[in-house]
Amino acid sequence: MHTVWVRLNAVVFFGLTALLGFSCLAALSKLGHSLRHKPVVEVLKLNTLRSLKSHGGYDRALLSFDLMVDLAPAFHWNIKQLFVYVVAIYETEGRNNQIVLWDKIVEADDEKVIDEKNVFVKYALSDQSDQLRGKDVTLQLQWDHMPITGLLYMDGQAVESASKFRLPAEYQ
Amino acid sequence: MIKDILDKQVFELKKLWANKRQLTFQVLNLAMIVFSALMIWKGLMFVTQSESPVVVVLSGSMEPAFQRGDILFLHNAVREVHVGDVVVFKIKDRDIPIVHRILKVHLDTDTFQVDLLTKGDNNRVDDRGLYAPGQLWLNRDDILGKAVGTLRYVGMVTIALNDYPVLKYVLVGMMGLFVLTSKEG
Repeated sequence: MHTVWVRLNAVVFFGLTALLGFSCLAALSKLGHSLRHKPVVEVLKLNTLRSLKSHGGYDRALLSFDLMVDLAPAFHWNIKQLFVYVVAIYETEGRNNQIVLWDKIVEADDEKVIDEKNVFVKYALSDQSDQLRGKDVTLQLQWDHMPITGLLYMDGQAVESASKFRLPAEYQ
Repeated sequence: MIKDILDKQVFELKKLWANKRQLTFQVLNLAMIVFSALMIWKGLMFVTQSESPVVVVLSGSMEPAFQRGDILFLHNAVREVHVGDVVVFKIKDRDIPIVHRILKVHLDTDTFQVDLLTKGDNNRVDDRGLYAPGQLWLNRDDILGKAVGTLRYVGMVTIALNDYPVLKYVLVGMMGLFVLTSKEG
């Protein structure tokens, strides 16, 4: 019986199936892109340590950094935006710590070269206790690919090439 | 026109009621559809180890990465979480899960317990205000899963159903009716 409803149902169902198929194809079309094209972080290093203080028993450092990277290789037609962030990695007694200090959303239409000097952190480097003094901190750039449709995946600067610095042994 | 369609449906239902064999067949058919959907959902729960493998984004706090109506596929089988991961978490005693990004990870190397802090990309401040009163950190158990894939617009239906609950009954009723009265071939 070919009523309006049966036809409508068939059209909607076929439309959704086709949409799903195209979405899958779009996601598959750029599989492995990050293996072939990887942005190179030219510069990411500490510029100035502004302060290292104790805030009610918790250590907190404020700093600025230099960053230079061309993110264009990470983009392709199914990438809506990159979420780029600077991570401070350090170890304290019995703890591995990763803290995001700064982040930026780079959309597909935006300028993809980030070349900035003396960028002040958006989030303080604050410890869970009072153990920041004299610690080695690694600054690493990472980015998260946000697709229009499909899989989310992350990438980042190789840890070996990331720059390190040592926080002073006294508050300042 | 609607009256015509309704009359037709009522007529079909009456005919169906008279024909018990056909009625049984149609009811089984409906049950099959419902149980297939349930099986797919439970199967996904098993594979992803997440109590809700697919979620709909309800707020704009992660824009422009995710908008209202996008659906996210979650994966929870991997214990480890990193900064930058987009995760869905649920605060105790609160119904609605939240999709935000991890800002801080403090891993205890002895017990492998993690303290996590999250923040929405589009929010100005971190999520401490959203946690339970006095709660400073999330734990791994609060996390329902990490977002691994996204599909746009599909969740709009869910949002419409949420905003207008009446629609839910209308839609389910209509679907049930049509499955019962439609004929194969």
